[in-house]
Amino acid sequence: MTQAFIKLEGVGLDMPIFGVSGQSLKKQVMRMGRRNRIAEDSDGIVIVRALDNVSFELKAGDRLGLIGANGAGKSTLLRVMAGIYPPTQGCIECAGKAVPLLDISLGMDDMSTGRQNIRLRGLLLGMNENELRDKTDEIANFTELGDYLDLPLRTYSSGMRVRLGFAISTAVDAQILLLDEVLSVGDSRFQEKAKTRIRELRDRTEIVVLALHSNDTIEETCNKALWLKNGSVAAFGPASDVVRAYAEDMKTVSYSM
Amino acid sequence: MSALRVAVSDLNASIRSWRLWSLLGWIEIRQRYARSKLGPFWLTISMGTLIAAIGLVFGALLGQDMSTYLPMLATGMVAWALLSTIIIEGCNAYILSVQYIRQVNTPRLIYMLQTLWRNTIIFLHNFIIVIVVLGIYGVKNWAMAPLFLVGLVLLMLNALWMAMIAGLVSARYRDLPQIVMSFMTMMFYVTPIMYASNALTKHPWVVEFNPFAYLIEVVRAPLIGNQVPARVWIVTLVMTVAGWFAALLLTGRYHKRIPYWL
Repeated sequence: MTQAFIKLEGVGLDMPIFGVSGQSLKKQVMRMGRRNRIAEDSDGIVIVRALDNVSFELKAGDRLGLIGANGAGKSTLLRVMAGIYPPTQGCIECAGKAVPLLDISLGMDDMSTGRQNIRLRGLLLGMNENELRDKTDEIANFTELGDYLDLPLRTYSSGMRVRLGFAISTAVDAQILLLDEVLSVGDSRFQEKAKTRIRELRDRTEIVVLALHSNDTIEETCNKALWLKNGSVAAFGPASDVVRAYAEDMKTVSYSM
Repeated sequence: MSALRVAVSDLNASIRSWRLWSLLGWIEIRQRYARSKLGPFWLTISMGTLIAAIGLVFGALLGQDMSTYLPMLATGMVAWALLSTIIIEGCNAYILSVQYIRQVNTPRLIYMLQTLWRNTIIFLHNFIIVIVVLGIYGVKNWAMAPLFLVGLVLLMLNALWMAMIAGLVSARYRDLPQIVMSFMTMMFYVTPIMYASNALTKHPWVVEFNPFAYLIEVVRAPLIGNQVPARVWIVTLVMTVAGWFAALLLTGRYHKRIPYWL
């Protein structure tokens, strides 16, 4: 297996936001051949620059924490690294199996039983038949749901769903793991178990990228940090330096207000 | 040409993830018919009733002999249901899979294969009607019947490329599914399903320039013991190759844009 790495060079991403008229074929056709464009010129598409000139490099062993205010582009950057959004500028090079864990409730089907859901989510996260066979029991044990696993998901409480989703997601073997604030789950005893499990997952993964609001966790677990501000890199470097700079900045902002 | 390469490699990866799309297809069928004992057989029943009703009224109206009219109608309707639902549901294949497309990086065409697979299962349920009708009136020509499988594969391949294009454009323009739906309703009456293709002597071009007429013909004719003319095979084959080429080209060209459109 090759060593995992990610390299972003000048990555930019323009996100088109479609309004109702931008998504209408009829409106687009009617617009053609209309001379007075200015009076009503809006094709219903707004372009938002979600990422701007982002460059950095990660190699095996790196733990990167993404910090920044809400809407700074952390989740978008994770999606770009996962290959979900191809960048509109620049390029991204990536070696190794990358698994994104962005939403704990991805692909859960209410009518299927817990076990069937393990299979569905496992396949979506790119597990093969062997992996699924090996992991199903381990996942089942971790959830502590026992006989409930043979009941359809619609009978589950929200806490039980989260447990199941968490257990499946964290069972993946990835070389590159992209995590988006999936850490708060279940009652306090389960939280402890979940923390240990996340730690184990991180330890067996070559590169981890975390988007988090807790600066402490980032300083604790990451060796590098990237601070995003309105889609561009405000700072990239050793975790403690970047987190300190970010905290300073937050302070000055609150003073000035 | 690089667009074609993108699409072909996506198609390859999609076919290899057959476990995923077959499971997703089954789940959808289960969701639709959840907790009803008959499940998809409800569709068989409603399709059977429709065929019986149309057969009774139009058979009498057109002064047809039931032993030839009913087999023609039943095979035509069942084939049409497969063709039209793949295209109509193909429109929504990407739109309804938005939660997957934006969360994980799967090949895109799995959502098309999922639509094809789900409708193939429903087709197999509906095919019971064809078996029953042919059981009553008898198969006219056993030597011809196996050719229907070739016709079925061609029909599905054509439905799939049409769905690929419809799904792609629908992801960008959300009013297309409605347009396609009304278009297919119109085509149901224009395509020779309720009447024989040679009955339209006044306007033969309606049948001759209707691609759907050819697709229905290659499935229906072998089953009701008619010879499929060489011309029909050739048109269908050309349509399959040209259609797939266009659909792959478009899919490859706009492959990157799909997650942005959703």
